[in-house]
Amino acid sequence: MGHPFAAGVGELRAWLAGVLDKVVEPVVELELRLLLPGSSHEPLSSPEAGHASPELGLTSPEPGLASPESSLASPESSLASPESSLVSPESGRAVSTTRLRLRTWSVPALLLQPADALQLLHLDGTPGHPAEGSGGFTATLRHCAAVAAFAIDLVRRGRVVPALVADDPTAEPGDMWTVPEPNAEARWRPVVTGADAAHLRELALAMPPACRTGAGERPSATVLNHALAQLTDAAARRALTTPLVPRARTLRDRWLSALTGPDARCVDLPELRHDLDRWHRTASTEGGARLCFRLIEPPPTTETPEATDSREATEPTAITEPSATPSEPPSIAEPAGDPADPADPSDITRPRSLTEPLGIAEPATVPTPPPPSRGDVWRVEFALQPADDPSLQIPAERIWAGEAVPGLAGRPGHELLAGLGRAVRLYPGLDPALRTAEPYELELDTAGAFAFLRQAAPLLQAAGFGVHLPRWAGKSKLGLKLTTRSRSRQSAATAQGFGLAELVDFRVDLAVDGRPIDEAELAELARLKVPLVRVRGSWVELDDRQLQAALRAVAGRREGELSAGEILRQVVGGEEGELPLLEVDADGALGDLLSGQAERRLAPVPAPEGLKATLRPFQERGLAWLSFLSELGLGGVLADSMGLGKTVQTLALLVHERAERPTLLVCPMSLLGNWEREAARFAPDLRVYVHHGPGRDPARIAGADLVVTTYGTAQRDVETLREVGWRRVVCDEAQAIKNSGTLQARALRTIGADTRLALTGTPVENHLAELWSIMEFCNPGLLGPRQAFRRRYQEPIEARGDEGAERALRRATGPFILRRLKTDKSIISDLPDKLEVKEWCSLTPEQATLYRAVLDDMMGRIDDSEGVERRGLVLAAMAKLKQVCNHPAHLLKDGSRLAGRSGKLARVEELGAEILAEGEKALLFTQYAEFGGLLQPYLEQRLDRPVLFLHGGLPKGTRDRLVERFQREEEPMLFLLSLKAAGVGLNLTAASHVIHLDRWWNPAVEDQATDRAYRIGQRRSVQVRKLICAGTLEERVDAMIERKKALAERVVGAGEEWLTELSTEELREVFRLTAEAVA
Amino acid sequence: MTSGGPGGWGRPVRVEGGLKARSRRGSIGSAWWSRRFIDILERVCDKGRLSRGRAYARAGQVLHLDLSPGLVAARVQGSRREPYEVEVGIEAYGEQRWAELQAAMSAQAVHRARLLAGEMPEEIEEVFAARGVDLFPRDLDMRCSCPDWGLPCKHLSAVLYLLAESFDEDPFLVLAWRGRGRDQLLSELDAVPGPPSDPDLVEDVPFAERLGDFFASGATVHRPERRGTPPPGLLLRLHPAPDGLTAELTAAYTAFAES
Repeated sequence: MGHPFAAGVGELRAWLAGVLDKVVEPVVELELRLLLPGSSHEPLSSPEAGHASPELGLTSPEPGLASPESSLASPESSLASPESSLVSPESGRAVSTTRLRLRTWSVPALLLQPADALQLLHLDGTPGHPAEGSGGFTATLRHCAAVAAFAIDLVRRGRVVPALVADDPTAEPGDMWTVPEPNAEARWRPVVTGADAAHLRELALAMPPACRTGAGERPSATVLNHALAQLTDAAARRALTTPLVPRARTLRDRWLSALTGPDARCVDLPELRHDLDRWHRTASTEGGARLCFRLIEPPPTTETPEATDSREATEPTAITEPSATPSEPPSIAEPAGDPADPADPSDITRPRSLTEPLGIAEPATVPTPPPPSRGDVWRVEFALQPADDPSLQIPAERIWAGEAVPGLAGRPGHELLAGLGRAVRLYPGLDPALRTAEPYELELDTAGAFAFLRQAAPLLQAAGFGVHLPRWAGKSKLGLKLTTRSRSRQSAATAQGFGLAELVDFRVDLAVDGRPIDEAELAELARLKVPLVRVRGSWVELDDRQLQAALRAVAGRREGELSAGEILRQVVGGEEGELPLLEVDADGALGDLLSGQAERRLAPVPAPEGLKATLRPFQERGLAWLSFLSELGLGGVLADSMGLGKTVQTLALLVHERAERPTLLVCPMSLLGNWEREAARFAPDLRVYVHHGPGRDPARIAGADLVVTTYGTAQRDVETLREVGWRRVVCDEAQAIKNSGTLQARALRTIGADTRLALTGTPVENHLAELWSIMEFCNPGLLGPRQAFRRRYQEPIEARGDEGAERALRRATGPFILRRLKTDKSIISDLPDKLEVKEWCSLTPEQATLYRAVLDDMMGRIDDSEGVERRGLVLAAMAKLKQVCNHPAHLLKDGSRLAGRSGKLARVEELGAEILAEGEKALLFTQYAEFGGLLQPYLEQRLDRPVLFLHGGLPKGTRDRLVERFQREEEPMLFLLSLKAAGVGLNLTAASHVIHLDRWWNPAVEDQATDRAYRIGQRRSVQVRKLICAGTLEERVDAMIERKKALAERVVGAGEEWLTELSTEELREVFRLTAEAVA
Repeated sequence: MTSGGPGGWGRPVRVEGGLKARSRRGSIGSAWWSRRFIDILERVCDKGRLSRGRAYARAGQVLHLDLSPGLVAARVQGSRREPYEVEVGIEAYGEQRWAELQAAMSAQAVHRARLLAGEMPEEIEEVFAARGVDLFPRDLDMRCSCPDWGLPCKHLSAVLYLLAESFDEDPFLVLAWRGRGRDQLLSELDAVPGPPSDPDLVEDVPFAERLGDFFASGATVHRPERRGTPPPGLLLRLHPAPDGLTAELTAAYTAFAES
């Protein structure tokens, strides 16, 4: 039967043309017969119906489906078997909760060429792509996009091999004298092993049923392998822009040239095909365990007495020569010299001993070190790591003793040897270890260890072997140490009397591993000319450039006096030379600041008089930190995780400071009402002015202590706001200014103030570009220009995970960022088990208009009715108004766009993003299953994390599976639940957040729902949020419940019925919309 | 089979379905064992003869080739109606010797390691050399039933050429010639490579249980940690490509790494 709501191929073509720049024809039109769930009369609409993007199935030709190859006359159509089919989107329809069954429906579809599919799917995740504007990708499209991303990554990492795929592998080769017809294809095939195999499995498990439907249920593995093969081939072809052979002379050349470009047809060569198949098989045979190498440093030498702290500075024996005594020729240490270093002339004339023991021929990969003779002995230990339990490592020694490896089907000894057999191809230096029957380690001298560190380890790691190096490996320990001493010996606990203009004494020393070294020691290091030396018992990798820089630096030792502000600027924003600043030792207030520990060192500031709130101990410390920075005129980022009271700490600062000039607070529209109410509640003496909406009046700024506005208004009114002499500018949800280049961020930076504060709940330190932007707002210029920041921190950290750069960044930004987590030991004891808060949201103008229209209509009808009819109308009115508060589309049920139309939805999105960023899980309750149906795909797509949805229409098995998944999987995720279907019984303790999206006017019902998370088995503090649209019936009914709570027993169990007893005048009062509701 | 020219001399009888040399142009590969065998051929047989042998082999004149311990026996269709019998013999080692050789291989894990990784260990020659015996023959004991006096005749040359090709494809044949077949060697050394792992077996939840979330993902896919781009062609170094493809493919892998 034809699918009644399916869009036609014309619409699909139009969508495709809007999203892709260029479509590689042919796009095949066809009707697919698909098994879909629904009632007997109509199929269930996909939850994303109404979004503009279609579903994407992974369709491979199969019996029963009209084979598209045969349905087209165009000769090109046989070039690629079509792989992805776009199935039409359906018109917007609400989730049906009737009993569902499977039936075959026929649906118009487009079949795409793999290259088109790749181009389309690669759009996912690129911000601002054309499909994003039209509602984004559906879950099926997103799944396919994950497969495409995997294919692209496999190609980038070279995990592909070429193949020859014969149309008919059993066909006899033709006569060699006739011109052969193309009877095969040249294809790139993925090589999936180890971690990639695990990822492939996950993709198969995650595949939405809609992706693998057809005339029947197709196994996900089959569908996935087919799709991955096609996308990998397409990705490889996209990467290869030039032919592999200049001119195809032979059939083999023709195969090579068919590996690039759009035409994959070529002539079958059975021998080559078998060779290639065998190659693919060997490359894919990597077993169930991973071979690991662990470099162990030599035990501390006993014969060389180590320098003690008391005489360290001048003890020349502190530096021990690694493998050579001074009487030996220096060439022994030279094989480890950095061959890439042109400054090392000995490299060219390096004598090669031809009489080394064993005389093993040396392939060029990694120089084989001579066997260790005496001196330090390094060891590389072998171990096996089961694929399914990477936390476990079984040393080779124990494997030879007969220990089993859990989860490994084959014999561990084989696994170990096969791994060594592969590894020795990359690292021939491994060979000596394999000259025993049961190898478990490789012995190396210091030069060999250096070669292993620098050359073999990265190569082995890239090839998928586990490599574990000592903690110090790859870290530069030679650097500078800055010491400052303040002159006024004031106590550290306060900033009182300390200013950035104050002069301090400073000194810069060369240091290894945190301890200063002197010229003589440095010279000794330089003389040794070995890259790996032991300095006072610990190993240090030295590179020659650094050593040279150190020799130059030591000549001009720096000391003198500078202002504290200048020191700060040097530490935070100074350019990095060859020698990194590794340590700072400062005292006094400057020391507190630079340590990044000021919050813990400062004396806590108790709640000021006039603050109507009790501050928890960590909030008192937060207040101390805020006021310390303010007094120094420095900006800060308060990034406490959500629920720790950023709002109340900020208000406390304002009350504590009692500044004469006003503070400007900029926040997203969705938080405007919340700030207004929180300020009124906690700091009633503060004069608050909300600068927003058409009625805003700059004249009122002068009379206010706190001016609250939105990002949009601040940008529009920037000229006016710039005129005001602000005490402070605060940005709430400072992610809003994460893009430093946006007009909004730039406009905000131009508003002058004594000091600035950014509030954010997301861990800014994980997003470096955003961090710079937010810091630039707080302390303009302090972190240096954006380019320099990128060069010095962002690139090294993001591309290589450079720990030195990470440490330097922490030192530079630590003083200005305060982030405390609920799980911190110092916090957790201060937190209640359950924290309930109300969050006020605003309505959008559209919501307000709709609210008024519904109100007028319904009040008129209520006026004219009585009895049962009236009761029904009151309940209907209330339901409709609550739906407007949720979202206009919830009331209208027209399948229209969701983004940007509801203040509550915006707040849900922000909260969801924050919760997920903290790595936690949340329950979201609504009493309307259809609202959940709207939210689920929307949130999943916007937040790009799983959003589960449990409602009454699901069979028991499905519900159990959802609960099980939510409880078991580690990934942060949201769980939408309909209040009725999930209010009781379920155990959802994996959640540490509960959000009530709409109110059920019965606290007992809400509490029961909350208890899904807050119950036995819950080990964390649970945060409960009730979302309330300010100025609407939601707020008024909430207030009535609060008032009645004292005598609430009457209300309990009575549902919403009690509202119907109110008089029309009372109802009017309850339902009324006040001006403050609209944002 | 069609009949050839009259008498014993002249053009060879054309053969259908004979053992053909590989149609691939070019020569024997560059693997170490192939080089060793080519060295031997070039010692016993000048270049001209070898290339005639190759042409002969390409035409498919070798009807049958059988390798057993110590002896390669072949039948080659010449210009006479009756094919010639060709034999190439070397010394096959007895059980005792093989037991010694295998014990020596077991004592050094490198042999098993390379065999398990799907490769012929180069170090195996050291084991033979250490016991004063050869893996590859120094001399070949060759016979052909044709009347040609030249040694090797073209029939022998064709067989030698095919033999070189076979060794190129399967180095274990050399060991088999010496008296130890691949399977026996691997099993006695306990070095039989395991079967390729099958990662794609996933138990699907039946559609009937997924009606409510038919369009949604059933599990979480963890975004894989972004791994750095390894040196281009790492795969080629770990698992060498079939002969003669390395150069062209290196260019491809370099392009991949830059994509």
